[in-house]
Amino acid sequence: MENIVSIKNVTFGYDEDKPILKNISLSIPQGKITAIMGGSGSGKTTLLRLISGQYKANKGSVKVFGQEVGALNNREILKLRRNCGMLFQFGALFTDMSVYENVAFSLKEHTNLPEAIIDKIVAMKLEAVGLFGTQNMMPQELSGGMARRIALARSIALDPKLMLYDEPFTGLDPISLNVSAMLIKKLNDALGQTSILVTHDIEASLKIVDYIYFMADGEVVAAGTPEEVQKTDNPIVRQFVDGKVNGPFSFEYNTPLDYTSYMGLPNQMRGLS
Amino acid sequence: MKKVYNAIAHLGSPFTTFILHLGRITNLFFQILLSLGYPFKKFSLVVKEIHFSGVRSIVIITVSGWFVGMVLGLQGYNTLERFGSVSMLGSVVALSLLRELGPVLSAILFASRAGSGMTAEIGLMKATEQIDAMSVMAVDPIKRIVAPKFIGGVIAVPVLSLLFNTAGIWGGYFVGVILLRLDKGTFWSQMQNSVNFHEDVINGLIKSFIFGIAVTLIAVYQGFIAKPTAEGVSLATTNTVVSSALVVLALDFILTALMF
Repeated sequence: MENIVSIKNVTFGYDEDKPILKNISLSIPQGKITAIMGGSGSGKTTLLRLISGQYKANKGSVKVFGQEVGALNNREILKLRRNCGMLFQFGALFTDMSVYENVAFSLKEHTNLPEAIIDKIVAMKLEAVGLFGTQNMMPQELSGGMARRIALARSIALDPKLMLYDEPFTGLDPISLNVSAMLIKKLNDALGQTSILVTHDIEASLKIVDYIYFMADGEVVAAGTPEEVQKTDNPIVRQFVDGKVNGPFSFEYNTPLDYTSYMGLPNQMRGLS
Repeated sequence: MKKVYNAIAHLGSPFTTFILHLGRITNLFFQILLSLGYPFKKFSLVVKEIHFSGVRSIVIITVSGWFVGMVLGLQGYNTLERFGSVSMLGSVVALSLLRELGPVLSAILFASRAGSGMTAEIGLMKATEQIDAMSVMAVDPIKRIVAPKFIGGVIAVPVLSLLFNTAGIWGGYFVGVILLRLDKGTFWSQMQNSVNFHEDVINGLIKSFIFGIAVTLIAVYQGFIAKPTAEGVSLATTNTVVSSALVVLALDFILTALMF
């Protein structure tokens, strides 16, 4: 199976001495939904931004549709992005535009379709996310879940081959969360897309994804199918899947300061452990 | 030794920061110039910006111009009266406004009202990932957001400056002729005799055009470099007003030295 995204030995950091991603390698096969999971600050969103060409790797290779992203100039990156859609964590809808204008945005920018056709496409995309009829509403009038689904409709307006989802389930109520998860699966299958899902919502993701990479401290620490993940004894994966406080993932901030001596306490009394 | 080195580095850092910003703003200016084709293709975006930055500034510009003209009329009358040259009031009001006060004050007022708004809008778009979203949708934010604002600002400032001058001259007329009983014919004829269209009116407009470029460029640049936080956006809008005022005054000195 052809890989749509191929990442080899990638290291990235704003400051080269403090890398956020350390020698990462992974591949995303065509037509599949792949999840990248890990705790906050593990480097998941950074990885997504490397794939979309917002950042360039300090070392290693990031290939999307066979093209080396780091070697592309600005115009070539914009061209590459026409085949990609990205759903941002909080939707990132254009607040000065109506729902219709948001969804029609890329159609108006990248095609010469007549207004009547654009109108029909916008209606179809909104129907696909269950929000047909909201065309004239402004983003301020939408709930968080609705805004996320409108943003999803906007990101699929041009039927992208690759969809990138940045924390699509954060802050959603259980119903909106399940609706969003179902939509991602349905759209991926119906449009023949390849999807990358950056999330820390294990329950919703296990239902829809084909493969999972676990990240911790800027490295890929485990990988497998949902079935393998549920059965594995890997302590990192187990702590994440079972939501345990104690384990390889540290709850506490890594600092050289010693809390007990700082507070003048007699015993080890730090954190929840 | 290290302390001395640090002290020297500390002294030099504002200068290197200034050079860094100058380089980045110049880079942005050239990027905008290369993107100017887009807003002319989608001119409705420019019209929207002219409405936002120009039309909505008409009231503040007109009222300020009227008061500045009245102050000029009053001060001019009192000063000229000492030398028995009250008849020159029309010339004093018109030349002060056309050459200096009109272009400078309208540009500073524009920076305070519309420039700060541009900075806040871009800064908030950045904070809420709207700029990133646009970029990921393969639309260059410089073309779509910045270039229309730039053209809108560059068109609006000279027009607002003309409006400021007109309101100011009528303010001077109100004080000199209506309140202080100066002869109406003298006021207008002296103005007509001393004001040269090319030297005074056109040069004033050229100044406004250059101020428009500077103020709009500073406003969009500050929006782009704003930290994506409430405090960052607030600081950026303040920087827009302060930097614009300083740059306009400095440019005014240079342009006055070259033009008059």
